Amino acid sequence: MSGAAAGFFGLDSSVIGIMWKREMLRYMRDRSQIFGAISRTILWLVILGFGLGAALREIDGYTYAQYILPGVVTLNVLFSALQCAISLVWDREVGLLRSVIVSPAPMLSVTLGKLFGGATIATIQGAIPLLLIPFLDMRITLWAIPAALGIMFFMGVAITAFGIVIAARLKTFEGFGAISNGIIQPLYFLSGSIFPLRGVIGGVGFLDIPAHLRDELRQLGIFAIGGGWVVQLPVFIQVLVYINPVSYQLDLLRYVLLDFEQLPLTADLLVTFGLAPVLAVAAAASVRTMLVKRR
Amino acid sequence: MVAAIQADDVSYRYGQHLAVDNLSLSVENGEFFAILGPNGAGKTTFLNMLMTVTVPQAGRIAITGHDVVSETAAVRRALGVVFQDPALDDRLTARENLDIHAVLYALPKQDRRSAVDQALAWAELDEVQSRPVRTFSGGMKRRLELARALMHKPSVLLLDEPTIGLDPQGRRHLWERIASLRAEGMTVLMTTHNLIEAEACDRVGIIDSGKIVAIGTPAELIAAQGDAAKTLEDVFINLTGRQLFDDSATGRDRLLSFGRQGGEFTR
Repeated sequence: MSGAAAGFFGLDSSVIGIMWKREMLRYMRDRSQIFGAISRTILWLVILGFGLGAALREIDGYTYAQYILPGVVTLNVLFSALQCAISLVWDREVGLLRSVIVSPAPMLSVTLGKLFGGATIATIQGAIPLLLIPFLDMRITLWAIPAALGIMFFMGVAITAFGIVIAARLKTFEGFGAISNGIIQPLYFLSGSIFPLRGVIGGVGFLDIPAHLRDELRQLGIFAIGGGWVVQLPVFIQVLVYINPVSYQLDLLRYVLLDFEQLPLTADLLVTFGLAPVLAVAAAASVRTMLVKRR
Repeated sequence: MVAAIQADDVSYRYGQHLAVDNLSLSVENGEFFAILGPNGAGKTTFLNMLMTVTVPQAGRIAITGHDVVSETAAVRRALGVVFQDPALDDRLTARENLDIHAVLYALPKQDRRSAVDQALAWAELDEVQSRPVRTFSGGMKRRLELARALMHKPSVLLLDEPTIGLDPQGRRHLWERIASLRAEGMTVLMTTHNLIEAEACDRVGIIDSGKIVAIGTPAELIAAQGDAAKTLEDVFINLTGRQLFDDSATGRDRLLSFGRQGGEFTR
């Protein structure tokens, strides 16, 4: 350990605290971020949820809007956590971080402060869709909300850390578009957020399936939705969904909020609570490498 | 007595390009030293090595006797740094920016508030302390940064083109602030393109292609050229040539221009 990365290791609670506070202050002064979370919630939950929900009668007994609620939470977490992480590029080249780097403060503590800041913002942003729960006709237990917030925080740590790993390798970036299209959307769409893991809706028809036929099909394990039925996803999509860690985090969130899970609960717990610390270590290592490799 | 800055045979190479070539320099305590040099001469790399951001590939640098590689923490505490363009958080207020600095430099908890108050007063920004820095002019930001760099009472101040981009009033004001530090015996090393400012320094080092090509008091440098130079500018042109030094844009330059165009997520 020498030079640029010297004094990297070191836990200083006041440094973690002030860097966390900085992220929170930045968040509170940026109304566009809160606006984004609200507009995403309305777009997905209200317009798509109720719009598509008119065509899709149910997914395993849940309305479509209920089904995608945890997905919209996840989308907000993904957006805010990655946005917080990516600001590292700007901060490092022309922002405050340059003066942080030449200070005696341990950069590990600086990184942790940013990580917890990103996760806290992600939790707040992710909680916005939960405000619509009273309108979704959901029966929800009292412990579900704090449990969901906890999961969102761990998810926030994992995604912010993942974003820091990317940001530390970016020399420059010109816009958030690439990040959004290249990272957020695949992670979101391939997580079972908007269609069930079992499959997508097949058999497009404009005539509704009669109720007795629906019941008969259900007994056979085929779930009729609107005028169609659920079929298996293509194998490559299945593979992508199963290797996407967000699928497991989202599944745990859906289990907590809807009491409905599509993946083994053990895997959900393992990924959600195991991945965050692993990625946090990776983020710290990336920041260290970034400092050593600095021109 | 230990020199404030002591660099011995320092080199740094990027691939084929030798940015700093066997450079040696000694700056005494309380000295006011200016580094002059065309773009790409190695000033920034040298400055980065002084501020412990880049590790010298050869040679050795000590700040107030502390080695930049093995005693990084002591070096960082001893240095006050002002970057060429503001290293502030635009969305935070002046006070909040200084609060962060007080914690990063581990000022004792009970002293932090008074240190921030003093810095705001010194920068003459106490009346606008609760305004976000993004509403500040270039001169106000520079004053805030200089005040911040002094908060932890450094013994050596590094200034990278401190007056660039300021209007004449702002330049004059900042220069007077810097001059007042000099009166208090602070060691200051600055890079500059402003030759009038350089002439006001105790000593000047002209750097070209990673080497010091001339060093001495401004009067000595002019005298050494005989009839060929009447001002420091003549000396500079004579030594470093008349050709233009065109650099290609770095990632940082591109990011800056992207930000100036109002690029998203750059604030």
